[in-house]
Amino acid sequence: MKRRHLLGLAATAAMTLAALPAAAADPVRIGYTMARTGLFAAAAPSQEQAYTLWQEQVNARGGLNVAGEMRPVEFVSYDDESDPAKSAQLYERLITSDNVDLLIAPWGTPHHLNLAGVAETYGFPVVGNTAASVAIREVAPGNIWFPTSAIPDRIGPELAAMLSEAGVGSVSIIANVLPFSQENLGFLTPALEAAGIEIRMSENYPPDIGDMTPLITQIKAAGADAVIALTYPADAFLYAGQARELGVEAKLQFMLIGPTIDAFHKAFGPAADGIVTLAHWSPEQAAWPRAKPFFDAYVARWGQAPDYLDSALAYMSLEILEQAVAKAGLDRDALREAIATGTFDTINGEVRFDGVQNAVTPTAFVQRQGDKMQLVWPAAIATAPLAMR
Amino acid sequence: MLDSLLSAQLLFAAAVLGSIYALVGLGLNLVYGTMRLLNIAHGDILMIGAFSAYWWFTLTGLSPLIALPLVAAIGAGLGLALYFGLFRRQLAQGLPPAAIEARSLLLFFGVSVVLQNVVAFFFSSTPRAYRHLDEVVRIGDLAMTGNRIAALVVAVTLLAGMLVFLNRSLFGIEIRALIQHREAARVVGINVDRVQMVAIALGFAAAAIAGALLSMTEQTSPFMGFRFTIAAFVVIILGGLGNIRGGIIAGMLLAVIEIYAVTIFSAEARSILIYGAFVAALLIRPQGLIGFGKRG
Repeated sequence: MKRRHLLGLAATAAMTLAALPAAAADPVRIGYTMARTGLFAAAAPSQEQAYTLWQEQVNARGGLNVAGEMRPVEFVSYDDESDPAKSAQLYERLITSDNVDLLIAPWGTPHHLNLAGVAETYGFPVVGNTAASVAIREVAPGNIWFPTSAIPDRIGPELAAMLSEAGVGSVSIIANVLPFSQENLGFLTPALEAAGIEIRMSENYPPDIGDMTPLITQIKAAGADAVIALTYPADAFLYAGQARELGVEAKLQFMLIGPTIDAFHKAFGPAADGIVTLAHWSPEQAAWPRAKPFFDAYVARWGQAPDYLDSALAYMSLEILEQAVAKAGLDRDALREAIATGTFDTINGEVRFDGVQNAVTPTAFVQRQGDKMQLVWPAAIATAPLAMR
Repeated sequence: MLDSLLSAQLLFAAAVLGSIYALVGLGLNLVYGTMRLLNIAHGDILMIGAFSAYWWFTLTGLSPLIALPLVAAIGAGLGLALYFGLFRRQLAQGLPPAAIEARSLLLFFGVSVVLQNVVAFFFSSTPRAYRHLDEVVRIGDLAMTGNRIAALVVAVTLLAGMLVFLNRSLFGIEIRALIQHREAARVVGINVDRVQMVAIALGFAAAAIAGALLSMTEQTSPFMGFRFTIAAFVVIILGGLGNIRGGIIAGMLLAVIEIYAVTIFSAEARSILIYGAFVAALLIRPQGLIGFGKRG
C-alpha cells in the first residue's frame, strides 16, 4: 500500500516536471550578507535597496543572461549584525551549505576585507562595492575587485588640488575619530601643506558628540577660506545644522560622508546648497547614459534619491557581474577571467580593473547645486563648475 | 578664551543639550526609582517618539509640537503594555531589588532588540529627517534655530511641571514615597500598583517626547537610541539613582561638561571627561553627586 502510494507520487511528480514550460529555468541564486542591525544598519539600506532594484529589473526583463540562457535571479541573504567576523562565517555558509551560484558584497570596508579571505579560500570571484580604504590594496588580487575610486590616499591630494585651483588659501579641519575620517586626515594634511594651503585649525571629535557649538565657534574664529568636516552620517547632520545656525561664512564647505544621503537634503533643503562632498557618480553626467535611468528607477521604487556613493557603487558592482556572467556563465574560473580582463559599461561610465582596483573612474567630488548633485571635480567628468560663496 | 566661555551661544547650547539630557534621564529615573527596573531600552523609547513625530509631520504636514500629546500617549501606552505584560507580576512577588534589577536588565535588553528590529523591518533602517522651524533667530551675537528654541522651551516646561507635580500634588508625593521606601509606602496605604503604572507611563512618555524634540534637529533611525540610553544612565548615576531633582541637575551638568570641556580642552577630551566624571562619581559618591544620599 505504502509502496503504491510512493509510486503514484513519483509518477505525478514526473508528469508535473514534464509539463513545466521550458521558460521556467532554475533561478540563479545570489548570496550576500547585510548589516540590517547593529552599528552600520543605518548606512546599509542604500546598498541593499540598489540590490533589490537590480533584481526586480533583471527579472522583469526575462532574467539574468547566463552565457545566453535567461534565468530568474533569487537572492539568499542574511543579517550579519554589522559584525565582519559573522559576515565571513555567513559567506562560508552561502558557499558550502546554501550552494549559491554567485556572491555579492556586504556593506563596509571591514566586511569586505573579511570577505576577501573567504573568496580567496574558496576561489569564488566577488565584485565588491562599499569598501574605501588603502587597505583594499593589501588584499590578494584574483577573487575580489573594488569599483570605488574613493580611496583616502587619492582623496587627500585631489581635494587639495581642487581647493588650490579654486583659490582657497586657508582651511579649518574637524575630523571624526572613526577610521575613514582619520585615514583621510592622514593623507589630506600633507597634501594641503604641499599645496601651500594654510591649516588654521585641525580638531578631532568623538562619534557620539552631542553638540558642535564649541567646535564651530573655533571654526568661525579661525576665519579660514574653507571648512573641511571629515564627518560620518550622524555627525554630518549635527555639523550642518549647527554650522547653519551659527552662520559659518567660509567660501566653501566640504563634508566627507553625509550630504549624499537623501535624508540630508530633506533635513536642510536649500541650506545644503554649495556643500561639497565625496562621490564619483551623478545622474547629471550625460556621457553615462545609464546614470539617469538608474536615478529615476531608484526614486520611483524607493521614493527617495539613491546615495551617490553607496547605491551607485552597489548598482555598478551588479552591472559588472551581470555583464561578466553574460559572457562567461557561472563557471568560477571563466567568471574570474571575465571580470579581471573585461571592460564594463556602468552607470558610472566605463570600468575595468587593474589588480583589485578600478583603473578608469577618477576620484571625484560633487556639490549640491539647487536640486541637483553636480560633479565639480575633476574637470574630465565635471557636470558643472565648482560654485564658491 | 574667556570671551568664548562667557558667550551666550555656549550657554544656549548647554541649556538645550542639558534640558534634553535631563528629560531623558528623568524618564529613566522615574522607572528605576519606583520599581528598580533598569530600562536599557530607554533610548529605544526615545526612538519610537522620534519616529512618531517624523511620521506625523510627513503624513499630516503639521508641526510635531502639536502631536506631542499623541507622542506622549504612544510612549505611555508602550510603558503600560510592558508593565502589564512583563513586570507587574514580578514586582508583586516582593523580590529583592537586586533580583528585580537583574531580571529587568535582561528583559529590557530583549525589548530593545525587538523594538529596533520591528521599526527597521517596517520602516527600514534608512535615516530620515525633515525641516521644521529651521529659521535662524538672531539676538545680538546669539543665533538660534527655531526648533532648538522649541526643544528648550518644551523640555524646560515639562521638567518644571514634573517637579511641581512631584512636590506639590498628592499623587506626586505618593510617587516620591515609593521611591524613598517601597514597603513603608505600602504600609501607609499607598496603592503601589497604581503608582507604578503612572510612573512607567510618565517615564516612557518623557523619553518619547525627548525623541520627538530631537527628530526636529537630528536624523531619525531605528538605531539612534543607544547613545541616549548611555547618556540617561550617566545622568541618573551622577544625580543619584532614583533622585529626580538630582537627575535633572546632573543632566544640566553633563551638558555643561560636554560644551565647556570642548571649549577649554578639546573635542577629543569630551568622552574622557564625561566618563571620567561618571567613574569618579561611582567611586567617590556612589549615591550620586547631588542629593546628599537621599532619594526624592
